[in-house]
Amino acid sequence: MRIRKTLITGVLATSLLLPAVAFAHTPMCSCFSLGDGTITCEGGFSDGSSASGTVMRVKDKKGNVLVKGKMDEFSEFTFEKPDQPFVVEFDAGSGHKIEIKGKDIAE
Amino acid sequence: MKKTISLLAGLVMVMITAGSAFAHFQMIYTPESALEKGKTISLDLVFTHPFEAGHTMDMGDKPEEFYVVRKGRKTDLSDKLKPVIWTSLTNSGGAYETEYKLRGMGDNVFCLVPSPYYEKEEDIYIQQITKMVVNTAGFPTDWDREIGLPAEIVPLDKPYGLWTGNVFRGVVKRNGKPVPHAEIEVEYLNHRPLTDHNAFAEKAEVEAPQGAFVTMGIKANVNGEFSFGIPRAGWWGFCALGAGPDTEHNGKELSQDAVIWVQARDMK
Repeated sequence: MRIRKTLITGVLATSLLLPAVAFAHTPMCSCFSLGDGTITCEGGFSDGSSASGTVMRVKDKKGNVLVKGKMDEFSEFTFEKPDQPFVVEFDAGSGHKIEIKGKDIAE
Repeated sequence: MKKTISLLAGLVMVMITAGSAFAHFQMIYTPESALEKGKTISLDLVFTHPFEAGHTMDMGDKPEEFYVVRKGRKTDLSDKLKPVIWTSLTNSGGAYETEYKLRGMGDNVFCLVPSPYYEKEEDIYIQQITKMVVNTAGFPTDWDREIGLPAEIVPLDKPYGLWTGNVFRGVVKRNGKPVPHAEIEVEYLNHRPLTDHNAFAEKAEVEAPQGAFVTMGIKANVNGEFSFGIPRAGWWGFCALGAGPDTEHNGKELSQDAVIWVQARDMK
Protein backbone atom coordinates (compact mmCIF):
# COMPACT_ATOMS: atom_id res chain seq x y z
CA MET A 1 0.00 0.00 0.00
CA ARG A 2 2.74 2.40 0.90
CA ILE A 3 4.51 1.49 -2.27
CA ARG A 4 1.39 2.49 -4.14
CA LYS A 5 1.49 5.89 -2.54
CA THR A 6 4.98 6.56 -3.77
CA LEU A 7 4.33 5.09 -7.19
CA ILE A 8 5.21 8.12 -9.19
CA THR A 9 6.12 8.33 -12.80
CA GLY A 10 8.57 10.14 -15.04
CA VAL A 11 8.13 13.84 -15.55
CA LEU A 12 5.32 13.87 -13.01
CA ALA A 13 7.71 12.68 -10.35
CA THR A 14 9.42 16.01 -9.99
CA SER A 15 6.30 18.10 -9.65
CA LEU A 16 4.57 15.64 -7.39
CA LEU A 17 7.58 15.44 -5.15
CA LEU A 18 7.86 19.17 -4.73
CA PRO A 19 5.15 19.53 -2.10
CA ALA A 20 6.87 16.79 -0.13
CA VAL A 21 10.23 18.53 -0.08
CA ALA A 22 9.58 20.01 3.34
CA PHE A 23 9.64 16.55 4.90
CA ALA A 24 13.10 15.23 5.50
CA HIS A 25 14.05 11.93 3.92
CA THR A 26 11.51 11.96 1.15
CA PRO A 27 13.08 9.91 -1.60
CA MET A 28 13.61 11.63 -4.91
CA CYS A 29 14.58 10.13 -8.21
CA SER A 30 14.80 11.54 -11.69
CA CYS A 31 15.89 9.90 -14.92
CA PHE A 32 16.99 11.37 -18.22
CA SER A 33 18.17 10.01 -21.51
CA LEU A 34 21.61 11.07 -22.65
CA GLY A 35 20.66 10.58 -26.28
CA ASP A 36 23.35 7.93 -26.76
CA GLY A 37 21.19 4.92 -25.97
CA THR A 38 21.82 5.15 -22.24
CA ILE A 39 19.67 6.44 -19.42
CA THR A 40 20.94 7.98 -16.21
CA CYS A 41 18.89 8.09 -13.02
CA GLU A 42 19.76 10.29 -10.10
CA GLY A 43 18.46 9.73 -6.64
CA GLY A 44 18.64 11.29 -3.23
CA PHE A 45 16.63 12.40 -0.26
CA SER A 46 14.95 15.75 0.01
CA ASP A 47 17.27 16.86 2.84
CA GLY A 48 20.15 16.55 0.39
CA SER A 49 21.48 13.25 1.63
CA SER A 50 22.88 10.84 -0.90
CA ALA A 51 21.15 7.72 -2.15
CA SER A 52 24.48 6.10 -2.90
CA GLY A 53 24.15 2.32 -2.62
CA THR A 54 20.40 2.31 -3.20
CA VAL A 55 19.22 -0.70 -5.21
CA MET A 56 18.03 0.10 -8.72
CA ARG A 57 16.02 -2.28 -10.90
CA VAL A 58 14.92 -1.96 -14.47
CA LYS A 59 11.90 -4.20 -15.10
CA ASP A 60 9.84 -5.19 -18.10
CA LYS A 61 6.04 -5.06 -18.21
CA LYS A 62 5.70 -8.38 -16.42
CA GLY A 63 8.01 -7.38 -13.63
CA ASN A 64 11.00 -9.38 -14.79
CA VAL A 65 14.25 -7.68 -13.83
CA LEU A 66 16.20 -6.64 -16.94
CA VAL A 67 18.99 -4.74 -15.21
CA LYS A 68 19.94 -4.54 -11.57
CA GLY A 69 22.47 -2.28 -9.94
CA LYS A 70 23.15 0.32 -7.30
CA MET A 71 23.38 4.08 -7.14
CA ASP A 72 27.09 4.98 -7.38
CA GLU A 73 29.06 7.40 -5.21
CA PHE A 74 27.40 10.33 -7.02
CA SER A 75 23.93 8.87 -6.42
CA GLU A 76 23.67 7.99 -10.09
CA PHE A 77 22.82 4.85 -12.00
CA THR A 78 23.32 4.52 -15.76
CA PHE A 79 22.01 1.68 -17.90
CA GLU A 80 21.46 0.87 -21.55
CA LYS A 81 17.96 1.66 -22.69
CA PRO A 82 16.03 -1.61 -23.15
CA ASP A 83 14.37 -2.26 -26.52
CA GLN A 84 11.03 -2.91 -24.83
CA PRO A 85 8.72 -1.00 -22.48
CA PHE A 86 10.29 -0.78 -19.03
CA VAL A 87 10.01 0.67 -15.56
CA VAL A 88 12.86 1.94 -13.39
CA GLU A 89 12.58 1.15 -9.73
CA PHE A 90 14.43 3.10 -7.07
CA ASP A 91 14.26 0.96 -3.94
CA ALA A 92 15.50 2.54 -0.74
CA GLY A 93 13.43 0.30 1.50
CA SER A 94 9.78 0.23 2.48
CA GLY A 95 7.99 3.46 1.87
CA HIS A 96 10.99 4.69 -0.03
CA LYS A 97 10.29 3.21 -3.40
CA ILE A 98 9.86 5.19 -6.60
CA GLU A 99 8.94 3.87 -10.02
CA ILE A 100 9.50 5.77 -13.22
CA LYS A 101 8.07 4.57 -16.52
CA GLY A 102 10.49 4.36 -19.42
CA LYS A 103 8.15 6.23 -21.76
CA ASP A 104 8.17 9.22 -19.43
CA ILE A 105 11.93 9.62 -19.54
CA ALA A 106 12.91 12.55 -21.72
CA GLU A 107 16.25 13.68 -23.00
CA MET B 1 24.55 84.02 -16.86
CA LYS B 2 28.14 82.99 -16.26
CA LYS B 3 27.22 82.08 -12.72
CA THR B 4 24.41 79.86 -13.93
CA ILE B 5 26.70 78.09 -16.35
CA SER B 6 29.39 77.43 -13.77
CA LEU B 7 26.72 76.33 -11.32
CA LEU B 8 25.35 73.95 -13.92
CA ALA B 9 28.83 72.69 -14.72
CA GLY B 10 29.42 72.13 -11.01
CA LEU B 11 26.17 70.25 -10.73
CA VAL B 12 27.06 68.05 -13.66
CA MET B 13 30.43 67.35 -12.08
CA VAL B 14 28.77 66.36 -8.81
CA MET B 15 26.36 64.10 -10.67
CA ILE B 16 29.19 62.44 -12.55
CA THR B 17 31.22 61.93 -9.41
CA ALA B 18 28.22 60.55 -7.58
CA GLY B 19 27.51 58.30 -10.55
CA SER B 20 30.92 56.74 -10.57
CA ALA B 21 30.64 56.00 -6.87
CA PHE B 22 27.98 53.38 -7.57
CA ALA B 23 29.21 49.89 -7.52
CA HIS B 24 30.45 47.74 -10.32
CA PHE B 25 28.85 44.32 -10.37
CA GLN B 26 29.76 41.32 -12.44
CA MET B 27 26.55 39.51 -13.26
CA ILE B 28 25.80 35.94 -14.23
CA TYR B 29 22.16 36.30 -15.12
CA THR B 30 19.43 33.78 -15.79
CA PRO B 31 15.74 34.55 -15.26
CA GLU B 32 14.91 31.72 -12.83
CA SER B 33 17.15 30.16 -10.20
CA ALA B 34 14.70 27.56 -8.83
CA LEU B 35 13.40 25.24 -11.52
CA GLU B 36 11.04 22.30 -11.17
CA LYS B 37 13.06 20.22 -13.58
CA GLY B 38 16.08 20.40 -15.82
CA LYS B 39 15.94 22.41 -19.04
CA THR B 40 18.16 24.59 -21.18
CA ILE B 41 18.75 27.95 -19.53
CA SER B 42 20.25 31.17 -20.83
CA LEU B 43 23.25 32.71 -19.08
CA ASP B 44 24.34 36.31 -19.58
CA LEU B 45 27.65 37.55 -18.25
CA VAL B 46 27.47 41.33 -17.93
CA PHE B 47 29.74 43.73 -15.99
CA THR B 48 27.52 46.63 -15.04
CA HIS B 49 25.89 48.88 -12.46
CA PRO B 50 22.71 46.90 -11.85
CA PHE B 51 20.61 49.32 -9.83
CA GLU B 52 20.73 52.00 -12.47
CA ALA B 53 21.36 49.78 -15.50
CA GLY B 54 24.08 52.34 -15.99
CA HIS B 55 27.50 52.28 -17.57
CA THR B 56 28.23 48.73 -18.70
CA MET B 57 31.91 47.88 -18.82
CA ASP B 58 33.66 45.99 -21.57
CA MET B 59 34.45 42.57 -20.12
CA GLY B 60 37.32 42.46 -22.59
CA ASP B 61 39.25 39.26 -23.10
CA LYS B 62 37.58 35.94 -22.64
CA PRO B 63 37.12 35.18 -18.95
CA GLU B 64 39.96 33.31 -17.27
CA GLU B 65 37.49 30.68 -16.07
CA PHE B 66 33.80 29.88 -16.42
CA TYR B 67 32.44 26.60 -15.16
CA VAL B 68 29.63 24.91 -13.30
CA VAL B 69 29.90 22.64 -10.26
CA ARG B 70 27.30 19.98 -9.52
CA LYS B 71 27.72 17.19 -6.98
CA GLY B 72 31.29 18.36 -6.59
CA ARG B 73 32.08 17.80 -10.26
CA LYS B 74 33.30 20.67 -12.38
CA THR B 75 32.26 21.19 -16.02
CA ASP B 76 34.22 23.76 -18.01
CA LEU B 77 31.96 26.12 -19.97
CA SER B 78 34.52 28.70 -21.10
CA ASP B 79 34.58 27.43 -24.68
CA LYS B 80 30.83 27.86 -24.92
CA LEU B 81 30.89 31.62 -24.29
CA LYS B 82 29.83 33.85 -27.14
CA PRO B 83 30.80 37.54 -27.12
CA VAL B 84 27.84 39.93 -27.35
CA ILE B 85 27.24 43.65 -26.96
CA TRP B 86 25.04 44.48 -23.99
CA THR B 87 23.12 47.76 -24.03
CA SER B 88 22.64 49.69 -20.80
CA LEU B 89 20.58 52.86 -20.41
CA THR B 90 23.67 54.99 -21.07
CA ASN B 91 26.06 52.97 -23.26
CA SER B 92 26.91 49.51 -24.46
CA GLY B 93 29.71 47.15 -23.48
CA GLY B 94 31.19 43.81 -24.37
CA ALA B 95 29.55 40.90 -22.54
CA TYR B 96 29.23 37.15 -23.00
CA GLU B 97 26.31 34.78 -23.29
CA THR B 98 25.74 31.06 -23.46
CA GLU B 99 23.16 28.39 -22.87
CA TYR B 100 23.42 25.41 -20.60
CA LYS B 101 21.32 22.27 -20.40
CA LEU B 102 20.50 21.39 -16.81
CA ARG B 103 19.85 17.73 -16.17
CA GLY B 104 18.58 15.70 -13.28
CA MET B 105 18.19 17.29 -9.88
CA GLY B 106 20.39 19.40 -7.68
CA ASP B 107 22.38 22.61 -7.40
CA ASN B 108 24.37 23.99 -10.30
CA VAL B 109 26.95 26.50 -9.04
CA PHE B 110 28.08 28.70 -11.91
CA CYS B 111 31.50 30.28 -11.30
CA LEU B 112 33.13 33.06 -13.29
CA VAL B 113 36.67 34.42 -13.04
CA PRO B 114 36.70 37.33 -15.51
CA SER B 115 39.80 38.96 -16.92
CA PRO B 116 40.87 41.94 -14.80
CA TYR B 117 39.13 45.10 -16.00
CA TYR B 118 41.04 48.37 -16.14
CA GLU B 119 39.05 51.18 -14.54
CA LYS B 120 40.49 54.35 -16.01
CA GLU B 121 38.85 56.76 -13.59
CA GLU B 122 40.36 55.06 -10.58
CA ASP B 123 43.51 53.83 -12.38
CA ILE B 124 43.03 50.35 -10.95
CA TYR B 125 42.11 46.90 -12.16
CA ILE B 126 38.94 45.19 -10.95
CA GLN B 127 38.35 41.44 -11.06
CA GLN B 128 35.05 40.23 -9.69
CA ILE B 129 34.96 36.49 -9.09
CA THR B 130 31.28 35.65 -9.30
CA LYS B 131 28.93 32.81 -8.31
CA MET B 132 25.28 32.14 -9.13
CA VAL B 133 23.34 28.99 -8.21
CA VAL B 134 20.48 27.37 -10.13
CA ASN B 135 18.58 24.50 -8.52
CA THR B 136 16.38 21.87 -10.12
CA ALA B 137 13.68 19.85 -8.32
CA GLY B 138 14.43 21.43 -4.93
CA PHE B 139 17.10 18.83 -4.27
CA PRO B 140 20.03 20.45 -2.43
CA THR B 141 23.53 19.31 -3.37
CA ASP B 142 26.19 22.02 -3.70
CA TRP B 143 24.78 25.42 -2.73
CA ASP B 144 26.75 25.58 0.55
CA ARG B 145 29.89 24.06 -0.89
CA GLU B 146 33.08 26.07 -0.79
CA ILE B 147 34.24 26.02 -4.39
CA GLY B 148 37.79 27.04 -3.53
CA LEU B 149 37.90 30.34 -5.41
CA PRO B 150 40.58 32.81 -4.24
CA ALA B 151 37.81 35.28 -3.37
CA GLU B 152 34.52 33.67 -2.49
CA ILE B 153 31.26 34.31 -0.70
CA VAL B 154 30.08 31.01 0.76
CA PRO B 155 26.32 31.18 1.34
CA LEU B 156 24.71 30.16 4.63
CA ASP B 157 21.23 30.36 3.09
CA LYS B 158 20.14 28.89 -0.21
CA PRO B 159 20.65 31.64 -2.79
CA TYR B 160 17.66 30.35 -4.79
CA GLY B 161 15.35 29.53 -1.87
CA LEU B 162 14.57 32.92 -0.37
CA TRP B 163 11.23 34.57 0.27
CA THR B 164 11.01 38.33 0.23
CA GLY B 165 11.85 39.42 3.77
CA ASN B 166 14.14 36.48 4.45
CA VAL B 167 17.68 37.10 5.56
CA PHE B 168 20.53 36.12 3.32
CA ARG B 169 23.76 35.24 5.11
CA GLY B 170 27.19 34.43 3.78
CA VAL B 171 30.83 34.16 4.74
CA VAL B 172 33.45 36.17 2.88
CA LYS B 173 36.57 34.08 2.26
CA ARG B 174 40.06 34.72 0.95
CA ASN B 175 41.81 31.49 -0.06
CA GLY B 176 39.38 29.61 2.16
CA LYS B 177 39.90 31.78 5.26
CA PRO B 178 37.20 34.14 6.56
CA VAL B 179 37.86 37.84 5.95
CA PRO B 180 37.08 39.73 9.19
CA HIS B 181 35.09 42.95 8.77
CA ALA B 182 34.98 42.56 5.00
CA GLU B 183 33.38 45.47 3.20
CA ILE B 184 30.37 44.37 1.16
CA GLU B 185 28.32 46.25 -1.40
CA VAL B 186 24.74 45.20 -2.07
CA GLU B 187 22.68 46.18 -5.10
CA TYR B 188 19.25 45.33 -6.44
CA LEU B 189 18.91 44.36 -10.08
CA ASN B 190 16.51 47.20 -10.70
CA HIS B 191 16.07 46.98 -14.46
CA ARG B 192 14.94 43.67 -15.89
CA PRO B 193 17.51 42.17 -18.26
CA LEU B 194 15.93 41.57 -21.68
CA THR B 195 17.97 38.53 -22.59
CA ASP B 196 16.60 38.35 -26.14
CA HIS B 197 17.79 41.89 -26.81
CA ASN B 198 20.97 41.88 -24.71
CA ALA B 199 19.76 45.01 -22.97
CA PHE B 200 18.20 46.29 -19.75
CA ALA B 201 14.54 47.30 -19.61
CA GLU B 202 14.20 51.06 -19.37
CA LYS B 203 11.70 50.87 -16.54
CA ALA B 204 13.15 50.91 -13.07
CA GLU B 205 11.40 48.72 -10.50
CA VAL B 206 12.12 51.09 -7.61
CA GLU B 207 13.50 54.56 -6.99
CA ALA B 208 16.26 55.20 -4.50
CA PRO B 209 15.73 58.22 -2.25
CA GLN B 210 19.50 58.77 -2.15
CA GLY B 211 22.82 57.22 -3.12
CA ALA B 212 23.12 55.14 0.04
CA PHE B 213 20.12 53.12 -1.18
CA VAL B 214 21.56 52.48 -4.63
CA THR B 215 24.68 50.71 -3.42
CA MET B 216 24.15 49.60 0.13
CA GLY B 217 27.34 49.28 2.11
CA ILE B 218 27.41 46.64 4.81
CA LYS B 219 30.19 45.00 6.81
CA ALA B 220 30.95 41.44 7.76
CA ASN B 221 31.56 40.63 11.41
CA VAL B 222 34.85 39.48 12.91
CA ASN B 223 34.25 36.00 11.45
CA GLY B 224 33.68 37.30 7.94
CA GLU B 225 29.95 36.61 8.18
CA PHE B 226 27.31 39.03 7.01
CA SER B 227 23.54 39.03 6.84
CA PHE B 228 21.09 41.09 4.85
CA GLY B 229 17.29 41.24 5.06
CA ILE B 230 15.86 41.13 1.55
CA PRO B 231 13.13 43.74 1.15
CA ARG B 232 11.96 42.95 -2.37
CA ALA B 233 11.57 40.04 -4.79
CA GLY B 234 14.12 39.79 -7.56
CA TRP B 235 17.86 39.43 -7.92
CA TRP B 236 20.27 40.88 -5.38
CA GLY B 237 24.04 41.11 -5.82
CA PHE B 238 26.57 41.00 -2.97
CA CYS B 239 30.15 42.10 -3.64
CA ALA B 240 32.92 41.73 -1.06
CA LEU B 241 35.53 44.32 -2.02
CA GLY B 242 39.16 43.28 -2.11
CA ALA B 243 38.33 39.86 -0.72
CA GLY B 244 40.89 38.12 -2.91
CA PRO B 245 44.62 37.66 -2.26
CA ASP B 246 45.87 39.37 -5.44
CA THR B 247 46.43 43.09 -5.09
CA GLU B 248 48.39 43.92 -8.22
CA HIS B 249 47.94 43.44 -11.96
CA ASN B 250 50.15 44.88 -14.73
CA GLY B 251 51.92 47.03 -12.14
CA LYS B 252 48.70 48.63 -10.98
CA GLU B 253 46.45 48.13 -8.00
CA LEU B 254 43.97 45.26 -8.37
CA SER B 255 40.71 44.96 -6.49
CA GLN B 256 39.91 41.26 -6.50
CA ASP B 257 36.31 41.03 -5.33
CA ALA B 258 33.92 38.17 -4.54
CA VAL B 259 30.37 38.41 -5.89
CA ILE B 260 27.30 36.24 -5.33
CA TRP B 261 23.77 36.68 -6.70
CA VAL B 262 20.62 35.59 -4.88
CA GLN B 263 16.98 35.62 -5.97
CA ALA B 264 14.01 36.26 -3.68
CA ARG B 265 10.34 35.57 -4.37
CA ASP B 266 7.17 37.07 -2.95
CA MET B 267 4.86 34.96 -0.79
CA LYS B 268 1.62 34.90 -2.66
